[in-house]
Amino acid sequence: MEEKEIEERAKKVVSSILGVDEEKIKSESRFVEDLGAESVASLELVAGFEEEFDIEMDENAALEVKTFGDAVKFIKKYIEGK
Amino acid sequence: MKILIFEDENWKNLLPLSYIKNTFELRCGYYTLFERIAQNFNGEKGLWVRDYISSLTKIKFNLPTNDENFIKDDIFIINGTTIIDGKVNIEEEKIFVDEYNNILYGYIKKETVEKFWEGNFWKFLSNLKENIKKEKVELISIKYPWNLIHFNGQLLKTDFENIQNKKIEGEVSGKCEIINEKNVVIRNEAKIHPFVVLDASKGPIFIDREAEIFPFARIEGPSFIGEKTQIMPGANIREGNSFGPVCRIGGEVEESIFHSYSNKYHDGFIGHSYIGEFVNLGALTTNSDLKNDYSDVVVYLCGSPTNTGDLKVGSFIGDHTKTSIGTLFNTGTIIGIMCNITAGGILPKYFPSFTWYINNKFMKGTGIETGIETTKKAMARRGRDLPKEEEEVIRYLYQETETERKEYVKRSRKKQ
Repeated sequence: MEEKEIEERAKKVVSSILGVDEEKIKSESRFVEDLGAESVASLELVAGFEEEFDIEMDENAALEVKTFGDAVKFIKKYIEGK
Repeated sequence: MKILIFEDENWKNLLPLSYIKNTFELRCGYYTLFERIAQNFNGEKGLWVRDYISSLTKIKFNLPTNDENFIKDDIFIINGTTIIDGKVNIEEEKIFVDEYNNILYGYIKKETVEKFWEGNFWKFLSNLKENIKKEKVELISIKYPWNLIHFNGQLLKTDFENIQNKKIEGEVSGKCEIINEKNVVIRNEAKIHPFVVLDASKGPIFIDREAEIFPFARIEGPSFIGEKTQIMPGANIREGNSFGPVCRIGGEVEESIFHSYSNKYHDGFIGHSYIGEFVNLGALTTNSDLKNDYSDVVVYLCGSPTNTGDLKVGSFIGDHTKTSIGTLFNTGTIIGIMCNITAGGILPKYFPSFTWYINNKFMKGTGIETGIETTKKAMARRGRDLPKEEEEVIRYLYQETETERKEYVKRSRKKQ
């Protein structure tokens, strides 16, 4: 899957869980400070990404990801490892 | 004579309470099952428990544990889930079993131990059942979590009868109302604030050392308030409660056991429930303990439906679990260890260990590393460390419960 497609689909997940407009989600957006993802929402994001991309991520590592751009790279790594 | 207190293969029937604890560490009445046996039987003691918990057991009890050399002797064996006084006949070699042929206790000679020992304790028990004299007995035996609640009220009364030095020694405000004072014991350094009501008209009340009962709380007997436990202002502590040490209890509680170091600080009802160690129940956490059609309560024991045969059954909450504000548990809910549960709709009746439940979905949670860190912080707040042996048990259980946890997460996603 191309990174562009991952980015578009991941944006929809973030937008739906955090209630943020897709256009406001940038590569450099920080989940906690810019997008308002507190601990519970972070878990929902991990679950949302796993569901959307049919992957299973390591929860400790996933929660270390701080920005949307890093999340896209992180997801890509799991998709390529499938 | 040597006394061996053992766990048998039925330890899984006491999950989630027995994940991190031995079956004989569970509380009923004033004591844990181990304390009760230790008080009633004099002699050198040893323990036999399932493998994964043996190192932790050894440091907790400082007794020979899973030690073959200890048992190769004339020995009195007793199942740690048996409630028994010291008046037993131990002259003749014999085992005593319950209606399901589980060994409750027995006296075994050294030569018999050597003859039937094949290196596996549960096989040894099986060999004894097949080869030596046995007799069926009726005793209280804790087979399922709800048995602890069922027998708690009865034991609270007999335990009071058996204690020595029935006095009020602690600091009791002149503005506290005590009904039926001869049925109340308050130990040294306990403090009872003004406008507290201790109603022992229907059963005894025991308040242990350094416990504190804040204004406007009402405690009904039979009840046991453990050492350094605090009963918060305005609490309604109804009959049949047993609170272990260092708990903080508010709101309404009926016929429930809090093992130790757990908090239910705020309002909300808990009834016919067993709450493990280091559990935190958020404000207004409430459980149902009676179905609207008055039928027997079914619980999901290890995930499988099991009829308790009891009309009143609440929740059984494993160690280190936390609930959010406003969590409402269904009748007969089993919650594993180290879960995080947030309120929302009708909650499931079974929560696998280490799961997080958010917006009506099971989630994998934050992972074992964060879980361990949080546990260490919670324990440090009460002056306790997480021993490395207990950490190893938790990590082992995280792996052991992974398949079940993932299955629930997967099923929960499909539902959406």
